[in-house]
Amino acid sequence: MTTTAAAPEAALGVLPRADGSANYSHAGYTVTGSVNGPIEAQRRDEHAYEAHVDVVIRPAAGVGGTRERHLESILQSSLTQLILVKNFPRCLVQIVLQVEDSPENDYVNTKLVQASLNFAIMPALMQTAVLALLSAGVPMRATATATAIAVMRQEEGAPTLVVDPSTRAIETAQSAHVLAFTSHGGLLLAESEGDFTVKEWDSVYDTAREICCRSAPTKEGMEMVLDEEATRGPDMRQFLQSTMEAKVAKDLHWK
Amino acid sequence: MPREVDPSLNEKQFVTQALEENLRLDGREFDQYRPLELTFGEQYGVADVTLGKTRILAKATAEVTVPYADRPLDGIFTIATELSPMTSPSFEVNRPTETEVLLSRLLEKTVRRSGALDTESLCLVAGQKCWSVRVDVHALSHDGNLTDAACLAVVAALRHFRKPDTSMDAGVLTVYTPAEREPVPLSWLHSPFCVTWSFFGEEGETAVLDATWLEEQVRVGSCTVSLNRHGEICQIAKLGGTPVNAVVLLQCTGVALAKVKEFDELVDRRLTEDLKRRDKGGFMAELRAENDR
Amino acid sequence: MPLDTSTYNLALLRVDGRRWNELRRVHAQIRTQAAADGSSYLEMGHTKVMCVVTGPTEPGPRRGGAAAGGAGGGGVGSGGAGGKAEIVVGIVIAGFSSVDRKRYGRGDKRTLELASTVSNALAASLHTNLFPHSQINISLHVLSQDGSLLAALINAATLACVDAGIPMTDYVAACTAGSTSTYAANDEGADPLLDLNHQEEQELPGLTVATLGNSDRVAVLVCESRVQISRLEGMLAVGVDGCKQMREILDRVVREKGVRMIQEGTVEKGVGLGDIDMD
Repeated sequence: MTTTAAAPEAALGVLPRADGSANYSHAGYTVTGSVNGPIEAQRRDEHAYEAHVDVVIRPAAGVGGTRERHLESILQSSLTQLILVKNFPRCLVQIVLQVEDSPENDYVNTKLVQASLNFAIMPALMQTAVLALLSAGVPMRATATATAIAVMRQEEGAPTLVVDPSTRAIETAQSAHVLAFTSHGGLLLAESEGDFTVKEWDSVYDTAREICCRSAPTKEGMEMVLDEEATRGPDMRQFLQSTMEAKVAKDLHWK
Repeated sequence: MPREVDPSLNEKQFVTQALEENLRLDGREFDQYRPLELTFGEQYGVADVTLGKTRILAKATAEVTVPYADRPLDGIFTIATELSPMTSPSFEVNRPTETEVLLSRLLEKTVRRSGALDTESLCLVAGQKCWSVRVDVHALSHDGNLTDAACLAVVAALRHFRKPDTSMDAGVLTVYTPAEREPVPLSWLHSPFCVTWSFFGEEGETAVLDATWLEEQVRVGSCTVSLNRHGEICQIAKLGGTPVNAVVLLQCTGVALAKVKEFDELVDRRLTEDLKRRDKGGFMAELRAENDR
Repeated sequence: MPLDTSTYNLALLRVDGRRWNELRRVHAQIRTQAAADGSSYLEMGHTKVMCVVTGPTEPGPRRGGAAAGGAGGGGVGSGGAGGKAEIVVGIVIAGFSSVDRKRYGRGDKRTLELASTVSNALAASLHTNLFPHSQINISLHVLSQDGSLLAALINAATLACVDAGIPMTDYVAACTAGSTSTYAANDEGADPLLDLNHQEEQELPGLTVATLGNSDRVAVLVCESRVQISRLEGMLAVGVDGCKQMREILDRVVREKGVRMIQEGTVEKGVGLGDIDMD
């Protein structure tokens, strides 16, 4: 298993006028998200018993197309599960995710005017959305973390898994997977592309679970922790928690 | 979508009365801008402008397409300004509001129609192939004066942008990837900037620069002047509102010119800084070594 | 076809034979549509505009309602907040109005900008605070275009509002001004020009000015071409002067119509509908 990315970075409350906002960058992707809600829903979006979750994904360049709509619908259904929508009937929770930066492939001249986002950006979008929701103080059942994994099949031997693959890795990979877990350890989202065996998927699942919901490494010595960090790659849940803790500590500094 | 909340009567009165006593709520002078910051992204052609609490991100991109049939010798240059609900929940996706239409027209007139970008240089093969340059303007946060910030972001993004290098060899057009050849900057002719005045008072006698969102909601009229540092007006738009004395308008244009020169300097300075950052001991250092000989 | 400006210096005559400070022929009529609350028809040279005003009426089901101008026209409103009437302007530019036939879609940004300008310009002159929670619909139809379109639209809308009897401070009169020689040349000898036609508008820098009545107060100032900042003052002065001439013309049209209506017995002398001023 190899990782290609440095540690993720995040900032909360970056936009002054939105109810909640977050900026998140990891693996070459930078996404800014804003959350407004619960606000008055439009007639057509209004639901008598629960809040409507509206997700808008805007690419950095070009107009959003079907791919963005697809990602929006995936995120929308996942986030509806997390937010306590029943608490706010006839309301709207509006999540806007603006992609600011995505890794570029230096070896190809991409057609940029027609924007197309791919699977690799899903974790960044998911993390930004969750952070922005937390920043807006929208009540949630649980938080969620996501990761993308590509399966590279070698000529012989076991397939290698690449966590947070680059655009180039995705192109050459046999299959690409996005998995998200809630903070309770439940599988929230699983999307796969390409051809793969059940056994491969199982190992992808184990790796993703390892990254997303590893319990906080407190039980062992300091060296162990450092050692683990080096081999096992980013720990998403831990990251989410520490970001929130830092933000709360900063906000309540005056107390 | 929920309507934008109007400020209360008390708030309105407070702002106007303070202005009558020559005071602004944030303690600025009438012709003073909020702190203006310009940063460039990791990629070429990404500019992030922060003006007080207003924040704009502009990204320039280019691709090869077929030119329009009626303009075979010109490249294509578009500025896309779609305001998302991120700016304010009252904006809806795919339904342009008046703010958005006016903003897009202003940028169009200021940057595109004034010929800031040489579109003829974007032509590759007459009538067959040309570059299509597109700037996407994303308003991340709106606290008044979107126009000036957006215009600055667009100009900065375009000046920072590099398009892939091309060559023509015996009728064969090659577009080099960034790995093969260093991308080249656009052919840029002049840098226009917008300066927006807001008017207050019965006869619009108080003119204020860089209004905040609250001030924008209270103002009785506005006038946007676009200039470049050579003192050429690219566009003036005072689209209705309380009539303002002609002499006041002329004075406003004069002050605007000074502001535009400041903007121009800021962009130039940030561009050189960025260039230095990118060239740490690299390409430029090599060139310099050659020159020393 | 480039405009040949070289001959201007010889005879000081423009392509259509005018001097620098002459308006084109302005022909205007009010009360052209019997069924409407207010209506007007205005020609500035070959630019022909028709305007119909409905209101002040109760606003439609949707506030800030789109498209008051029917098919093909965008509607833009201003005001409306609090205790003021909303002015909704819809502009329809006929496909046959210019030399090359062009379809103007519903979302055409230029048309929307024109509509917003007309709406905001009139909002400053009409006493909209007298009609809270109501709407004034202004439909403008462009039949023929030959430069100075925005000016013609504002003038026609003003006339129609006078006809509709909506209380207003004064006429909002508009016209264009330009300058000989293009922006590149920085010669001081350039003459300002009044009331540009289409050809001149294409080739020369110009601006549209609208003033409130006889004052020097500028309601609308739109410049869409590159021009030296030093040239602005001269152009603005000529433009403001042109607006004053335009105001006289509009005023004459209204007065003549008033006199005729009394002669025909449509209204009794001295009864005075609010909109007819007869001294």
